[in-house]
Amino acid sequence: MSDDFRARARAWLAANAPRRAAADDEAEAESRGQDAVIAEQKAFQAKLHAAGFAGITWPAKYGGQGLTGAEQIIWSQESRDFELPTGVFFIGLSMPGNTLVELGTEAQKRRYLPKMLSGEEIWCQLFSEPGAGSDVASLQTSAVRDGDGWVLNGQKVWTSGAQYSDFGAILARTDPTKPKHNGISMFIVDMHAPGVTVRPLKVATGHSPFNEVFFDNVRLPADALIGEENKGWDAAVVMLRHERIAIGTMGSPRTNPLAFDSLRDLAAGLDRTADQGVRRELAELYARGRAVQLFALLLREETQAGRPPGARGSVAKLAGSDLGRFAGNVAADVLGDQIAGFDADELAAVTTSIIAAPGSAIAGGTSEIQRNIIGERVLGLAKDPGVDRATPFNQLRVGTQRQQ
Amino acid sequence: MTLILTDEELALADSVRKFVADRSPLTSLRQLIASGEPYDAAVWKQMSAQLGLAGLTIPESFGGAGAGYSALSVALTELGAGLVASPLLACVLAAEVLLRMDDDSAKTELLPKIAGGELIATFAVASSAGGHVTAVGSGGASVTLTGSVSPVLNGAEADVLLVPAQAEGGTVICLVDGGAAGLSRTRLTAVDHSRSLARLALAATPGRVLAGDAAAALAAAADLANLALASESSGALKACLDMTSAYARIRVAFGQPIGAFQAVKHRLADMEKSWELGNAALRDAARAGDEKPDRFSVAASVARVLLASAYADAAVDTVQLHGGIGFTWEHDAHLYYKNGLSNKVLLGGPGEQLDRLADSLGI
Repeated sequence: MSDDFRARARAWLAANAPRRAAADDEAEAESRGQDAVIAEQKAFQAKLHAAGFAGITWPAKYGGQGLTGAEQIIWSQESRDFELPTGVFFIGLSMPGNTLVELGTEAQKRRYLPKMLSGEEIWCQLFSEPGAGSDVASLQTSAVRDGDGWVLNGQKVWTSGAQYSDFGAILARTDPTKPKHNGISMFIVDMHAPGVTVRPLKVATGHSPFNEVFFDNVRLPADALIGEENKGWDAAVVMLRHERIAIGTMGSPRTNPLAFDSLRDLAAGLDRTADQGVRRELAELYARGRAVQLFALLLREETQAGRPPGARGSVAKLAGSDLGRFAGNVAADVLGDQIAGFDADELAAVTTSIIAAPGSAIAGGTSEIQRNIIGERVLGLAKDPGVDRATPFNQLRVGTQRQQ
Repeated sequence: MTLILTDEELALADSVRKFVADRSPLTSLRQLIASGEPYDAAVWKQMSAQLGLAGLTIPESFGGAGAGYSALSVALTELGAGLVASPLLACVLAAEVLLRMDDDSAKTELLPKIAGGELIATFAVASSAGGHVTAVGSGGASVTLTGSVSPVLNGAEADVLLVPAQAEGGTVICLVDGGAAGLSRTRLTAVDHSRSLARLALAATPGRVLAGDAAAALAAAADLANLALASESSGALKACLDMTSAYARIRVAFGQPIGAFQAVKHRLADMEKSWELGNAALRDAARAGDEKPDRFSVAASVARVLLASAYADAAVDTVQLHGGIGFTWEHDAHLYYKNGLSNKVLLGGPGEQLDRLADSLGI
């Protein structure tokens, strides 16, 4: 069974998947136009699904393959050397998708999951707000009851893929008189609905990989609720767990300019490998990078053996961010004063990656939040005092306040 | 190849852990410190003869268990967690050198005794700063050896010593009897209370050159030393993490268990992270040793580089997070701190490891 699956996966990938080192999605979108990239990825996802390699562990009645974690691991192993053009589906499938599989109603699962897998519909995730990042439970976007549905108002930020998404999973406050965790609900929002505005968000590198999304009196129908009303925090915890696992185990892209192989070649090209400090830093980068890969592999093996990683997914997330930062420092040392001014595309790409490195310690839960999770849920240390846990939300101070 | 432990390895870990708790708790290390004995001979006898730990990497044809590197790593992890003083590392490295050389009479004579714990053997290798031995031929395989080397694991107690030396045609490895003429052995003040280390001085000391590829045997011993010290460090790092987390759960200050404070919590989270990463690298190295020999050298370097530093840092944090009590003689934190300092530098320190790894990676 597993051997058969591996053989099928290998054959299909060899025949259909590009081995080329794909440029990053954003750069590609800039040069070819976003619509062309989306169209290509939708077509590829449809082919992948038709061949039986999308939604490997999802139930067959929702378009999945109904297989086990063993086949998922085989797929990861076999597809590692390919650059699958499926990036626009990564968030939707790993986060809202897996959450709907766990918490969705029968009707929601039948309506949404098959079209996610076949590439017909793209999803995004809408949690963070300008005033609610690490403390996302202090979010202020509201969904107010109106007939059998709700009316949504507020602003979300750091939303990847909002500009081309068809649907989003959004957290909104449904009862401000309850303590902050107890008055939140999760909804499915139609990103094409009237009142939804998406604006690109420019970050430190000068690129715009994220968006701000504004909701102005957007109607949510009765069947938009995911899970129970005012139990949205529980749904968010499920989704954040899937996010950490997805980020922690996705591995670094082969084209990463801060990967060991790239920096070793860069150092050789700049004639820097005779420098003992640079040599030692590169060797340490290899060791650290290898350990992050091996830890992700160990977590996958444990999951397959019936021991899911739970909060140890936060170790993978934290370790990946730390590695990025270390790699950024190594890259800067390899470049030396060439980082201060350059005119080669190759150096521009490395420098952009160095500038981008701190971002991974913020995105998807800051390293500080990961350390809290590890301390409390892996090591069993006492929770943060959390002075706001029992206070009704409408009596809390939230966001950024310049006085008092 | 899988990284997770097999049922057999889990059972071995369990039996060694129980052995350490019953027969060699940290209180017995304190008794050794008081008595000055290098290790407890009764504990060593049980470890080697009954548990069979000295023969884990020695093939059955030479009286060992032929269990392999991963089994050795599992056992050393538990022994490292308990800071068990023993000549196991010295014996394992000496056995590795003998196995890699082509001297059948030495193998047949010595390996079964090492496996049974009847004979203490050591590999007398140190960094360039630790001395240097030259060999002069005196007919056939016989040589006389002159020079000094330190620190040597269990050098004062060893019945036989394998001494690398410079001969006219290059590096050779010589077999020297512990009672040989002109060999003087001085026990050193070891920073780590669980190690017995010595300086050897050789003055026209008779030895016998072992047949075989000395450079290859030296490299194999260096790789195994990396796996062994990474294993011990992984176990000890986990012991520090468990000890300090337990304390952070029960020690109260400012009205909270200290683990509630992020200054404490985040340091422990980083310690957990460095243990998880090091452990994954260690599992990979141990498996490579048995199943992918061509990858073993790099994998063992990776595990050693990560765990040696992570453990040394964790041991300092263990002192710090315990506060004043952690800096007392009575508390166990200093035993780990000193072990961490020593493990980091023995048989090739961090700089040397990174240089060797850089060479292997084609940097």
